[in-house]
Amino acid sequence: MSKSIIELKHLKKYYDTSRGIEDVSLKIDKGDIYGFIGPNGSGKSTTIRTIMTLINKTSGEIYINGKELEFDDVKVKRSIGYLPSEINLYDDMTTKELLDYHESFYKEDLSKRRKELVKLLKVDENKKVGALSLGNQKKVGLVLALMHEPEILILDEPTSGLDPIMQNTLHDILLKEKEKGTTILYSSHVLNEVSNICDKVGFIKDGIIIKEDLMENIKKENYTYLKIISNEIDKIKKDLKLKVHKELNNEIVFINTLTPKELITKLKDYNIEHLLIEEVPLEDLFINYYK
Amino acid sequence: MIKREFKVNLKSFLIWLTILVLMFLVVYLIYPYMITDETMKEFDEMMKIFPPEVLTAFNMDIASISTVYGWFKTEGFTYVLLIIGLYASILGGSILLKEEDDQTIEYLDSLPIKRSNIVTNKIIVGIIYVLLLNILLFIFNYISLTISGDFNQKEFILLSITPILIALPLLAINLFISTFLRKTKGTIGIGLGIVFIFYVLSVLSEITSKVEFLKYFTIYTLADVRNVIMDVSINPIMILISLGITIIFIIGTYLRYNKKELV
Repeated sequence: MSKSIIELKHLKKYYDTSRGIEDVSLKIDKGDIYGFIGPNGSGKSTTIRTIMTLINKTSGEIYINGKELEFDDVKVKRSIGYLPSEINLYDDMTTKELLDYHESFYKEDLSKRRKELVKLLKVDENKKVGALSLGNQKKVGLVLALMHEPEILILDEPTSGLDPIMQNTLHDILLKEKEKGTTILYSSHVLNEVSNICDKVGFIKDGIIIKEDLMENIKKENYTYLKIISNEIDKIKKDLKLKVHKELNNEIVFINTLTPKELITKLKDYNIEHLLIEEVPLEDLFINYYK
Repeated sequence: MIKREFKVNLKSFLIWLTILVLMFLVVYLIYPYMITDETMKEFDEMMKIFPPEVLTAFNMDIASISTVYGWFKTEGFTYVLLIIGLYASILGGSILLKEEDDQTIEYLDSLPIKRSNIVTNKIIVGIIYVLLLNILLFIFNYISLTISGDFNQKEFILLSITPILIALPLLAINLFISTFLRKTKGTIGIGLGIVFIFYVLSVLSEITSKVEFLKYFTIYTLADVRNVIMDVSINPIMILISLGITIIFIIGTYLRYNKKELV
């Protein structure tokens, strides 16, 4: 059995009376990339900030490496690389000064990894952090999160502000980290973004994990889209008894749970101009969870 | 981290130091020309209009302003106490809170450093800057007064220590208050308010014996300037109370900050 590196048990956070998170339970195994998916305001950042002990949980338990997380544990902090969703660094420093400053908190020599990351992410070390674009600040944030080679990476919407080429570079870096055994919590509101790198995904809605599964299972969700163009749409609708995804004039898209054989049997007597069965895009799956 | 703290707070330190030095420099340059027999006579007449309690409140009954040093002990020293008090208050209110206001705390707190160490580093820098402001002002005044003429060295040295007795508690009180806030926006107002309320209470307590008890509610009592001028000594109890208040509020700051929600 693989070892859980991060485990949350019924984590709850309320800000006075307003809900931050209601009930978050999840397990992330060593070396896994866990996609933490949810729309804005669903509780992703609150969960992450609670793990980082930046805010105090209302109730529930957090385990890191099998040990219940204590407040402000420096050993745990040392083992985590963290990239917040909104990056706010010291604007008055040059990137080089900031990286030097960051290095000063660690006993190990981080210069080799720092050089690699600066090169990979094309970070300009000479510019003042405040003069960098949001995307470039994010890149600096990624170097900071990764340069001490942490056992755990917590990335809150890491690709926002990054161009597609840099997003791919980041994903390559993360896959290499995974190979090294790094455990990654990757939060995003875009399911497609994480589908190629995550082992497992958890969907959070209104502060509650509503679904958690392996990415391969999510991709194999047992329904398809069935698009039909016919002048007998109303009759087909009654007969098939399927949920309608979209409808326009004599064109309809069903959420299909029938097998092709069942479909052929049921549709053989209808006058059908066009029929198409297609896979459900991940984003539609995502939207369905949040309906 | 401490190096960065010094750098970040250097600019405001230099501004406050410049204000103080320029203010005294102007007085030292023009004062000798203002003090003539004629102006002193006019001034003595004017002083007679004021009730003795007011003169007492500003120590004008025990020191004459006929010399630069006399001005320094009365009016000048009031400015020193107020300005150093203000600097300590504003610094205390902002030094810790700035990280939250700038939202850099999310980065800083994720580094392998305990929150109490963050507080310690900030407090050390705050105390050093407050002491440094006092020391540099002391050096400047010492040189200027030496050039200007006679002054009581022992009395001057003791007087120059007294702002520390109010500045350290003010730094600590404002640090503590800042742990209840989220933005630095209000801290200047709070810092100014605290200093002026304490100062007004101190003046009132000296003006009339009816409200003398107010001296127990103001940090400015700890400066005890009147006693320093009259006895040429600092009451050790004032030093102990000053340190006591500073330590209590610093402990409070640690306790509060370790429970604070930083984002």
